[in-house]
Amino acid sequence: MERTYFTGKIWVLSDLEGQLIENIDTDQIYHNAFLHITELAKMGEYALGNLEGWKDFPKKAQPGDMIITGRNFGAGSSRQQAVDCFLALQVSLIIAPSFGAIYFRNAVNSGFPVLKSHDVERLVLEGKLETGDQINVNVLSGECTNVTKDFSFGVLPMSEVQHAIFQVGGLFRYGNELR
Amino acid sequence: MGQTFSEKILSQKAGREVRAGDVVTISPDYVLTHDNSAAIIKEFQKLGIQKVRCPQKIVIVLDHVVPASTEKYAQNHKSIREFVSAQGISHFYDVHNGICHQVFSEEGFAMPGTLVLGADSHTTSYGAFGVFSAGIGRSEAASVWATEKIWLRVPETLKIVLDGQLPKDVYAKDIILKIIGDEGADRANYRAVEFSGDGAEGMSLASRLVLANMAAEMGAKNGYFPPDEKTFDFLKDRAKGIYQPVYSDPDADYEDILEYDLSTIEPQVACPHTVDNVKPVTAVAGTAFHQAVIGTCTNGRFEDLKVTADILRGKTVASSVRVLVIPASRTEYLKALHAGFLEDLVRSGCIILNPGCGPCLGAHQGVLAPGEVALSTANRNFRGRMGSRDSEIYLASPATVAASVIQGKITDPRGSQ
Repeated sequence: MERTYFTGKIWVLSDLEGQLIENIDTDQIYHNAFLHITELAKMGEYALGNLEGWKDFPKKAQPGDMIITGRNFGAGSSRQQAVDCFLALQVSLIIAPSFGAIYFRNAVNSGFPVLKSHDVERLVLEGKLETGDQINVNVLSGECTNVTKDFSFGVLPMSEVQHAIFQVGGLFRYGNELR
Repeated sequence: MGQTFSEKILSQKAGREVRAGDVVTISPDYVLTHDNSAAIIKEFQKLGIQKVRCPQKIVIVLDHVVPASTEKYAQNHKSIREFVSAQGISHFYDVHNGICHQVFSEEGFAMPGTLVLGADSHTTSYGAFGVFSAGIGRSEAASVWATEKIWLRVPETLKIVLDGQLPKDVYAKDIILKIIGDEGADRANYRAVEFSGDGAEGMSLASRLVLANMAAEMGAKNGYFPPDEKTFDFLKDRAKGIYQPVYSDPDADYEDILEYDLSTIEPQVACPHTVDNVKPVTAVAGTAFHQAVIGTCTNGRFEDLKVTADILRGKTVASSVRVLVIPASRTEYLKALHAGFLEDLVRSGCIILNPGCGPCLGAHQGVLAPGEVALSTANRNFRGRMGSRDSEIYLASPATVAASVIQGKITDPRGSQ
C-alpha cells in the first residue's frame, strides 16, 4: 500500500485573471443537487460542476492528475462527495495553502493526499506553476519538483496521523488497527 | 500554564494531559447524523459488522429533505427507518420534528462538558451550551458507529471577547457576520472559537446558538460559550444525563484574542458569494430580491420568529417577493403558533413551511431560478447553493429580512419596530 512518490500533470484552479481561486466551497466542488447519489463511481462527473470556468474538468482530467488551488479549499458542508468525486476521477492529490477543516479530515480519512503549501500562491503568480506542468511530489518529505520548468519547491509534509491513515489506505483500516 | 476548554475536555476524554496540536483518540458522548445516514449506513455495511457498537449514543434526525421530495430521497429515508429499527437506535427523530441541531438541543443531548460529533458542518452549534461539538464526514460517522472511537487534533483556540450591549434592532446575526467579514472565512480553520465577555453573558441561548452555529463559517472546529445559569435552567428538565461543565483556565494559552464592542455594531449583510463578503446594511440598501427565507439552524427559533412578526404585523409583503418562513422545530413552531406570530405572518403574505432545512440547501421548497436573488437568515450564500448557479444569496438577521420584505428591497431594520 505504501506510496510516497506521485508524478503527474497539474491543473491550476485559477480565474480569468490567472489568480488562484480562493474559498472554493463544497457547493462549488459538488453541488447539493447530486447529494442523493451514493455510488462513488458516479460522482466524478459532477466534480467542480459548479465552479465558474471549470465545469468541463471531469471531461479533461486524466487519472493521476493533480490539482493546485487557492486557500480554504473545501470550505463549507461536511459532504464527503466533495472528496469522493476526485477519487472517482482518480485525481492523485490536491495542493493548497489551506483547506476547510472538515474537508481536510474527510480527505485524510479517505487516504487521499491533501497537502498544504505556503509557496503555491506565489509560484502560480510568478507563472512557475501552470496547468499542464508535470510535477513530482514526495508526500512524506514534502519535496516537489516541477519537471516541465525544472525547479524544486516544497509542500508541508503529512502530519503523523495523516501519514498513518494514508499508509494503511484509509480510516476503516486505521480503525481496525485501533480495535 | 492552564488549559483552554478544548484542551481540558479532550484531556479528560483521552485520559492524559494534552495540548493544542496533539492528536487524541477518544470516544464521543453522542454522534448525530441526518438524511445522510442513508449513505453512512452503506459505509457501515461495507465494514462487515452486524451491529453498531453503542446504539444509545447514536442520534438520527431527518431534516434535510422532509418530507421526501423525490423517490430517491424517500428510499433513503426508508432505509434509515429500517436500519434504526433493526439496530435498536431509540434516539430517532422522523421527518416531523425539525432541524437536527434544534431538536438535538431541545431534547437535552447538548450538555455542558460533553463531546458531540455530527455528520453536519453546523454541529459547532452546541458550543452554545458549553459542549465540544464538531462536524465530521460520512466515513468517520460510520467508523464511530462501528468502533465508538475517533481521532481528533486538539485545536488551538481563538478567543473573541464581546463587550457591551447591542443597539436596538441589531442582533446576534449581525455580530457574527461582522466578525466573519472582518476576519475572513478561513480565520479559524482547525481552531476552536471561544466567545466570552459581558456581551456573551448577556446573550440568550438562542442568540448564542447563532454565533456557535456560524463559527463553522470561519472554518472553526468548534465554538464555545462558558455555560451559566441560563444553560443550566434550560437543561433542568431535559438533560439526558448528569453533566459536569468545563471551563477554560484563566491562564490558558490562546492563539489570539479579538475584542468587539457590541454597541458599535450595525446591521450587517453577507453579499454573494462568500459569507465573509460582509457589508453594513446601509451599503446594500435598495438591492431588489425575489425570495426571502426566515428560518434554518441559524435563525429559525422563537426569538427570530418574534422579531419577524413584530416587524410584519399589520404590514404586507411586497408583491415582488415571496417569503418563506420555516420554524426550526416542531416545538418552536408550536410556541410561535400559540403566540399568534404565525397568524400575523400568514396575514402579511408569508408562506409557513414545515420545520426542516427547507430551501437552504437548494434541494426543495423554494429553489431559485437563474437570475433570481434571495435574502436569507441562513448561514451560507455559496454560489448556486439554493438552486441555479446563476442565482445570488444575501444573508442577514431576521429583523433585516423582515424589514426588507415589506419594501421588496434590502432595507435597514433600524426604526422598523
